[in-house]
Parts: sequence; C-alpha cells; structure tokens
Amino acid sequence: MKKLLAIVLALVMAIGMMPVATADGLAGTYDIKVWVANEIVDLTKQQIEDFNATNTEGITFNATIEAVGEGDAATQMVTDVEAGGDIFCFAQDQFARLVQAGALAKLGTRAQQTVQESTDADAVAAVTTADGNMFAYPLTADNGYFMYYDNTVIPEEDIDSLEALIADCEKAQKNFAFEMQSSAWYLASFFFGTGCISQWNADDSGVFTEVHDTFNSDKGLIAVKGMQKLVTSPYHVSSSEASAFANGAAIVVTGTWASKDIEAILGDHMGVADLPSFEVDGQSYHLGSFFGFKLMGVKPQVDPAKAAALHLLAQYLTGEKCSLERHTAKGWGPANLAAQANEEVANDPILKAVYEQKKYGVVQGAIHGSWWDIAKVIGEEVKVATSDEDLKAALQNYEDKMVSLFDLDTSALLFVGAWNGWNNADDTDTFYFKKGDDGSYTLTLDVPESDYMGGRIVNPGSWDTDKGFAQVTTGADLVKDLGADNPDNNIVFAAPGNYTVTWTGSEVTIIQN
Amino acid sequence: MSEKRVEPSSAPVQQHMGLKASRAISNTAIYVLLVIISVIWLIPFVCIVLQSFRVESTWQVGYVIPQKWGLDNYRNLLQTDFTRWYLNTFIIALITAVLQTVIVLCMSYTLSRFRFKMRGPLMRFMLILGMFPGMLTMIILYRVLKDLGMTQENAVPGLILVYIASSGMGYYVSKGFFDTIPKSLDEAARVDGATRLQVLYKIILPLSKPIVIYTILTAFMGPWGDFVFARYISFGASAGKNVAVGLYDWLSKDQINKSYTMFCAGGVLVALPVTILFMCLQRYYVEGVTGGAVKG
Repeated sequence: MKKLLAIVLALVMAIGMMPVATADGLAGTYDIKVWVANEIVDLTKQQIEDFNATNTEGITFNATIEAVGEGDAATQMVTDVEAGGDIFCFAQDQFARLVQAGALAKLGTRAQQTVQESTDADAVAAVTTADGNMFAYPLTADNGYFMYYDNTVIPEEDIDSLEALIADCEKAQKNFAFEMQSSAWYLASFFFGTGCISQWNADDSGVFTEVHDTFNSDKGLIAVKGMQKLVTSPYHVSSSEASAFANGAAIVVTGTWASKDIEAILGDHMGVADLPSFEVDGQSYHLGSFFGFKLMGVKPQVDPAKAAALHLLAQYLTGEKCSLERHTAKGWGPANLAAQANEEVANDPILKAVYEQKKYGVVQGAIHGSWWDIAKVIGEEVKVATSDEDLKAALQNYEDKMVSLFDLDTSALLFVGAWNGWNNADDTDTFYFKKGDDGSYTLTLDVPESDYMGGRIVNPGSWDTDKGFAQVTTGADLVKDLGADNPDNNIVFAAPGNYTVTWTGSEVTIIQN
Repeated sequence: MSEKRVEPSSAPVQQHMGLKASRAISNTAIYVLLVIISVIWLIPFVCIVLQSFRVESTWQVGYVIPQKWGLDNYRNLLQTDFTRWYLNTFIIALITAVLQTVIVLCMSYTLSRFRFKMRGPLMRFMLILGMFPGMLTMIILYRVLKDLGMTQENAVPGLILVYIASSGMGYYVSKGFFDTIPKSLDEAARVDGATRLQVLYKIILPLSKPIVIYTILTAFMGPWGDFVFARYISFGASAGKNVAVGLYDWLSKDQINKSYTMFCAGGVLVALPVTILFMCLQRYYVEGVTGGAVKG
C-alpha cells in the first residue's frame, strides 16, 4: 500500500515538473465570453464566425455572446471581473473605473500602433491613460446628442436659433424635448456653450486627483440664463426618448441610438441638425455637448496565447469591415478612420449632424460618478428661479456640493504669458500647474520663440504680481533681469525651450529640460 | 284613541327610518371610498394589460387605450430568451416551494411538540439570526456559489440553494398554528401506535390545511418575484436569469424603445399564475395568515 502511494506521489510530482506543451503560435480553440449591446448580438456572432473562417493564425473562437448594455458594462464587470466577459463593450465614461478595477488588459506595442494609425484621434485619447498606455479599442464615435425635429412644424431657417425654435413650438403648441430636469449629461450643453469647463484629472490607476470646474462663474450665469429661456417655456418637456415625438413633440434632443425609432414615427418628416445657438445680452452662444465613444475592452487573461488571440479579435471587430457592417445594419458611427471615410458613412445625414455638433462638443473624459447627480439638480433650480439671484444661488449650491465632495481645488494656478496669448480666463487646461502631494505646483511648458518671452503665475481670472521674477530662486540664470522695465514682476525667459516651472508657495524654481 | 295609537307607533318607525338612512349613507360613502381606492390600485395593472396588447408602436406613449390591438407582443416574446427565464423562474419557485414547505412544517412540528434540551435557546438564536438582513450575506454567498460553480448560467441550482437554505427559520406562523391543535389528539394517536411522523401527516396536517397552503404560497412567491439576489448571482448570463432580472434589462436605455410593450406582455404572463393561484386558494390564505395568531 505504501509502495503504491509512493508511486502515485512520484507520478504526481513528475507530471507537475513536466514542461507545459506550448501550442504553435496562437493556433487553437478558445472558449470566450463576449458582452455586447443587445442589438448587435447576432451581428457580432456572425462577425466572430467570419474571423474564425478568415484568420491566418489558426485561431478558432467558441464564443458565448451575451447582451450586456454598454451603460451597464462597468457595473457588471466590477461585480466579478473573473467571471466577466473576455471581450466587452462599454461607454467611455466608465474607462477610468474599469482601469482601476483591473478589468482592462493593456494593449501591446503593435496593437497600440494599429489603433493610433487607424482610429479617430479623439477616440485614441479616450483610451489612453495619463502615462500614455492604451487600454481599449475605440468602437464607435457617435455617442453625442443633437437635434431631431419634425420638419412640418419647424421651418429650416429657424434651426440655428433656440429662441426661434421655442417660438415655433409655442406657436404650434408642440413640445420641445430636451432632458434638462433629470440629466447632467444634457444640461451641460448650455455650460459648454458659453465656454465653461468641468475637467477631471485622474492618475494612472484611475483615481481622481483634481478637478477644474467653472460652472459657477459669469459664463455659467450666462448659461443658466439661456437654459431658463427653454425650461420656463410651457412647451418644454424634459425627455430624450424617441417616443416624445409620438407624444406631441416637435423637437427632441437625443443621440444616434434613437434614430431608427424616430424615423419610424416621423418618416419623411424627420429633420436632423446640430444644436442651435442661444442669445444672452446680445451675444450668441452655440450650444455645446458631451461627445463620447463606445469602447471595446479585453479582460486580462491568465493564458498569454488566449490574450493575444483576443486582442486580434478585438482589432478585427473594431476594424474597418466590422465597423461598416455595424453602420449598415444599425447605423452606428465608426471610430475607424477608413470606415469614417467610406462614402455611405460620410453621406449619412445623422452622422453628419453628429460630426457637425462634435465641433462644439467636449470630449467626455473620465468623470466622477457623483458629478451626474450633483449637476442635474441645476435644471430643477433654474426652472423655479425667478431672479438672477436665484440663478446665482443655484450655481453656488452646485459649487458648494462639489467642494464638499471632491475637495475642489479652487486655488488653481495658471501660467499666463506670451505662450497662451496672455489669456488668464479659466477655460484652458494647457497651462495649469499640477498640484503635487507636498502642496507645490509644477508645470512643464514649451516657450516658443518671440520678442517677449514673458509671463507670470496667476490665479485664473486675476493678474496677481506676487509670483514672478522676484521670487525666482533656482534657475535665475534662465530668465532676464529687466529691472525697472519689469513693473509687473514678469518672468521673462532668455531663450525659447522646454522648461519645468515650480511654485513652492513662496519661491519659483525653473529648470530647463 | 286612534290618534293615541298612531303616536307611539309612528315614533319608532321614524327612528327606524333614520337609522336605515344613516346606514345607507355611511355604506355609500364607504363603498365610494373603496371603489376609488380600488380604481387607484388597479390602474397600473390595467395599463400594463392594455399596453401589452398595443401593436402600433413598441415604445412608451401618452395614452392608455391601444389604437391597434393584437397579440404581436406575446408572439415576439416567445422569440426571445423570455421562455428560458420563465422556465428558470418556474423551476426555482416550484422546487423551493416543495422543499421549503417540507422543511418549515417539520421544523414547526418539532418545535411545537417536542421538548428537548436547548429548544428555547435555539428558538431565541434563530430569532436573533433572523433579524440580520439577508442582503448582508450577498457578497459572501456569491463567492461561495461561485466556487461551487453555481453562478451566471448555472444560477438556477444556486438560487434554489439560497432560497431554501434558511427556510427553517420561518417557522413562527405554522408553529403558532400547531400549538393551537390539542396535544391530546397526538397522545391518542400515539397510544393507538402511530409514529411521530404518522402523527404529523395523518393528524396534524389535515387539521392545518390553511397553514400548509399559506406556507406553500409564500414559499412560491418569494423566488417568483425575487430580483436582487437573482440579478447578482446570474449577472452577465442570459441563461441563468429569472423573469424579473431579464425583464428589467429590457428597460435599459438602449432597449426600452424596442421592448416596452413586450415588457408589459412579459409582466402580464408573470402575474398570471400567481393571480390564478391566489384566486383559488384565497380563503385558505386569509385563514392561514391569522391562524397562528390565536393561541388556544
């Protein structure tokens, strides 16, 4: 008995030590789970079969395809990454969350290059983390909103003016549907229209580190005044559903996903356009919008061959052929450049409106999940506001909640000067200092050649003179001492180049890179 | 004389009429109130039923009466995974109903008739344990079930396990009812040579029909409408979903316009067996709920 046991144990050990037979390249059969939106389940099944038939590596996928909506993918993945889909699609705003949860595999060098070359530049930025690595494949570039209208009610010449559109709707006693009361995604449109920003920065692991938000500002006030015009109209309804047309709407602001349904309701009367402009104090502002992408991610794998094969499949599925098939079947706007250039896609009136609006759009970066709830309250508050004070109170209320939740950094610093045209407004992220853990502010910038290569460190919106030449300690040899010719205490670089500037709280250090 | 005769008799008659009138008024008021309340109660259900027969469009609309009637939604329903979900739910509910009823009745009988060491502490322990919300165990249960391979597409056995695992603790109502049945009946049967088990199913159970039916009904209803546990355990796998989870997914933003009326049709089909069951067993149910309350 003992002998038998010894033999068995020895065998077990021997088997354990045997080198694992490695397959030739990636050839083999893999069982995978794929999560895609319900409407493309059948199409994706077909596309994976095509991949099985055509790939030259000898890869065969035995795929189980499940319908998991892109909006829900992150929640489902984070529940249990191990049991989640090997390939899954998700909306771009979940990117940071998924990276943080370790649910996305990093793209290899070759894959990154392919994505870089074949994909919409904004979409590439959307899948790239702060340290320059890519973690997903852009699937579509059409996730934004624009205006559908009933062209029997709305005359063509009015579609550029919000005021004219409201008047048309009131005259025809038809509704204007724009989801202002329950969705921050839609109401941000007015703020982006006047140049407000709400920009979130996350570190490599997807944790939010800082936020620049200027909703509570003069521009924000203009935005809510514009919003007030719309939401106080008796014919405004807060909806983004295609069905609003069936319920007496003449205008619905929503996205591409509603196009088939709206076409079914309106038929030939469907008109599509980018969002209109609104006017406050004689100034005209074109409504902005969020613009986003749908992405396809690959889950990290234990088996390197399976991982490589999955990346090939993801590249195939987001490539030109499959993107075009999705456009033909479901009207999805591709992120793939070759597919975008395709005649059929380029002439699609709905995608035309998408891309027209994208010019005024803000690419939706990573945004903290709570922001949506905090910001959507503005819509309600504007609706009941009766004075400018009420509007200001709504914005102040928004900022208070932001500050209390996210430690909003209102002490942001900006390096204004020749390099940004002396623009001290709080609407550019390029010359912001990054706040370090020790409380110091650092910025690396290119100083271009010009007659006067000067500037100084200010709080956005101000012209402070207390953080300039006189405070420079390290790197004093890199800047010019202009003496009395420098009353504003400007830092004037002696030569163009790339510099790293740090404000420690009391002194400025400059290092040439 | 005749006037005198009239007087005393007319007074009570008038009084009688007044009573009748006031009762009629109060009855009318009560019935009006009840009708209003039941209309408010029924509106959502009527809406869902009507919407499920609407075929001119598949999205939400602002009216209740369909413009075109038809069975398309029900027909389409059969083309989807709904049949699978329905079957899953039915299997889970049925097995749970049987097993849970057996466990609960045995438990109640034991605690009602047997006197054993630690009986009191055990009952107190279960009372305290029952005070913890079951949701707290969700994450750990998920891990356990996952290691047993009972999640996602294999969620059905996993869910059955979850539902029946703690069913012994729901003994209160039926134990209370059993306590009302005279112990002398048991003793008489025992004297005649019946075993404990025979006492249970030959004497006690026939006397406690309402409570048995009540136990079956509640055991069936729990899994039939469960959402939270089912969603968590069957996540990302259509084959493991129950109706509540599957139907909920049709309300997501990208699907609601295509599946809203189908969702209503699904809702009607889900409500159907439960409604029928309740209608048939209603009189027992009411007896059962209150049965354990009076201790004899």
